[in-house]
Amino acid sequence: MAPKFYHDDPVWADIDPLPQDDGGLHPLAAINYTDEYSEAMGYLRAVMANNEFSKRILELTEHVISLNPAHYTVWLYRAKTLFEINAPLRDEIEWLNPTALKHLKNYQIWHHRQTVIEALGSPDGEADFIDSMLEHDSKNYHVWSYRQWLVKRFDLFEGKGELEWTEQMVEQDLRNNSAWNHRWFLVIGGRDGRALDEETFKREMDFAKRLVRKAPQNQSSWNYLRGLARHANSTSALKDFALEFADLSRPDEIHSSHALDLLADILATEEDQKEEARQALDLLATRYDPIRAYYWNYRKGLLEQPGAVA
Amino acid sequence: MAPGLALSAGESSLNYSRHISYWRRNLKTFLPHHYTGNDSNRMTLAFFIIAALDLLGDLPAALSAEERQGYIDWVYRCQLPEGGFRPWPGTDVGSLRHDGNRLWDPAHVPGTFFALLILIMLGDDLNRVKRREILVWLRTMQRPDGSFGETRGENGRVEGGSDTRFGYMATAIRWILRGNVDGPVDGVPDIDVDKFVACLQQSETYDGGISEAAYHEAHAGFACCAIHSLYFLDRLPIPPRSAQVPDGRLRGVTNLPLTLHWLASRQTLTLEDEDDIDTLGDETDSTATCHDAHSFLKLQSYPSTAGQMSFKGQPTSHFELQWVGLNGRANKVGDTCYGYWACASLKVLDHLDVVDGKPIRRWLLDKTQHIVGGFGKGPGDPPDIFHSYLGLLVLSMFGEPGLKDIDVALCISNRAKQHLESLPWRKDIVEIGA
Repeated sequence: MAPKFYHDDPVWADIDPLPQDDGGLHPLAAINYTDEYSEAMGYLRAVMANNEFSKRILELTEHVISLNPAHYTVWLYRAKTLFEINAPLRDEIEWLNPTALKHLKNYQIWHHRQTVIEALGSPDGEADFIDSMLEHDSKNYHVWSYRQWLVKRFDLFEGKGELEWTEQMVEQDLRNNSAWNHRWFLVIGGRDGRALDEETFKREMDFAKRLVRKAPQNQSSWNYLRGLARHANSTSALKDFALEFADLSRPDEIHSSHALDLLADILATEEDQKEEARQALDLLATRYDPIRAYYWNYRKGLLEQPGAVA
Repeated sequence: MAPGLALSAGESSLNYSRHISYWRRNLKTFLPHHYTGNDSNRMTLAFFIIAALDLLGDLPAALSAEERQGYIDWVYRCQLPEGGFRPWPGTDVGSLRHDGNRLWDPAHVPGTFFALLILIMLGDDLNRVKRREILVWLRTMQRPDGSFGETRGENGRVEGGSDTRFGYMATAIRWILRGNVDGPVDGVPDIDVDKFVACLQQSETYDGGISEAAYHEAHAGFACCAIHSLYFLDRLPIPPRSAQVPDGRLRGVTNLPLTLHWLASRQTLTLEDEDDIDTLGDETDSTATCHDAHSFLKLQSYPSTAGQMSFKGQPTSHFELQWVGLNGRANKVGDTCYGYWACASLKVLDHLDVVDGKPIRRWLLDKTQHIVGGFGKGPGDPPDIFHSYLGLLVLSMFGEPGLKDIDVALCISNRAKQHLESLPWRKDIVEIGA
């Protein structure tokens, strides 16, 4: 795209740009700005100093955002302008959609989107937008955080297809930890402190177990399973499940380091099973998860200390 | 040992002279225009540049007295009349600034944090810092839920993301300016420490990690920020068998063994995107799809037809254990910066012993160190200021000869930290409070 300038644009003829004062001979981290950026910033400072709110501000802020999306007050200034001039907020969302795709790692854009959606008072279209973002990066942290905000803001915890959507995301990529976490948020976070009922607990345990069986070396599904069990104080009930993948009597037939890890934790809490727990940790340190050997050895040390189990 | 000399051929080594020239270039010449997207983080970039040269022991040689003073003055120019710093000159409208437009040029939490650190590293006494004003402002940066934000907007609204980064920097600013004393200092009440700690407790996740906010996904960067802030506030768990008596104070990291488990699990052999074979729709475990598999010689025998098919013809040899990277979340690829976020968390929790530093060091030196100096995000990536400094911090944590030792939570050398602690105004506050 050709650079955009203002000095020869009649729309901006009334503005005296304010050049940046970098202060003396020794600025730190000075950047080799393009002429385009320097000029746009000069006009931005001038209109900000005047508190101008008008349609052309939307163009100028859009331009500056395209060059420096991390500029924190340009977003606030743009939001204020939108409300001051009663700009159509749907148009803002239409602009934000492709802009978010260009700046996948930017923080400010999400804050701005929340402000606009809050004012619109409706989550319509947001699910499609999120799908398009996740197609580019299925684990994008900002997108998943924003999805949580939407669920809370518009109470989408139950009966609005959110759980089904999450299930689909997990099935699509069993190793998408963000999707697993979103499920936890829906199932546990949406309960407002109410205890997990037995039916839901069983449904979630079955879900996690089924997906562990599909990919026994996937840490996301194990973490979910173990989180649930810990939540319900029933970790020891997972012993048989762990044995499916890691039976100490057949040390050459281990199918999952995570099962060994769980087994070690359970054995450590049982009477007279410390030796077996040690054996599981040894297998991890020497054969099945040697990159964490130091950690497994630390865990062996914990066996000597009563009550120190994760 | 003289830097870079005594290492035998073939051994991974830190290329001191290249790193020094990389950082001197960043200090003395304009940064390339692709840093424009980080223009509003210039104070952060400046911090990394000065701090890296300090760590490399090059700061005294790199700066003339006049330059040192010039840089100090540049930082002070970013201080606002009402207290606090802007992180760059970009929002400064000079003599046109008034109460009606200062909304667009606000004091900024990261800007203030990094400005203070730069002044400390350059040996300034912080006497020109509006310290009391900053402490007053800091209280207004805390939200009702206990978290901190980035700037104050219209009607005192706390703007910026709701995540642990700002809490980290806010508690660090507090520690720099008033130590960890209880109650008011200079007539300014403290932030609400308990509320902040409660907020961090809620950010602990079901897998032992810590996230940006309650129920969000565990993330090593946010975990590290949370752990560091608890350290500044002296609200980390009391170590077992320590002489410290339980004092009933609210403390974070409520399940330390689980958090150590999560942090140790950040070690990975998935070092670059190419290793990160598309797992979409692939439900199998093979040495390719399983991010932390090493020696699963028997995986193919687990009853999954798809698994057996996908494993067919693939070598079942051990993965190379010589290089171990760190990722920020479960099932993600290694990244230099997570070397810092994960290991620094462990270090502050006094458990760096649960990881082996040698293969991590080799990963940084052999895989992400760049030939022109600095570190990239992953193998083959060009160096950038952020990853280049965090890579050095990790090496220093593991005792790299020739690098200064650091205070892991403040991210600066212990030399610089000691300078701060020696300042008379601060000693007065800390000693009276003690």
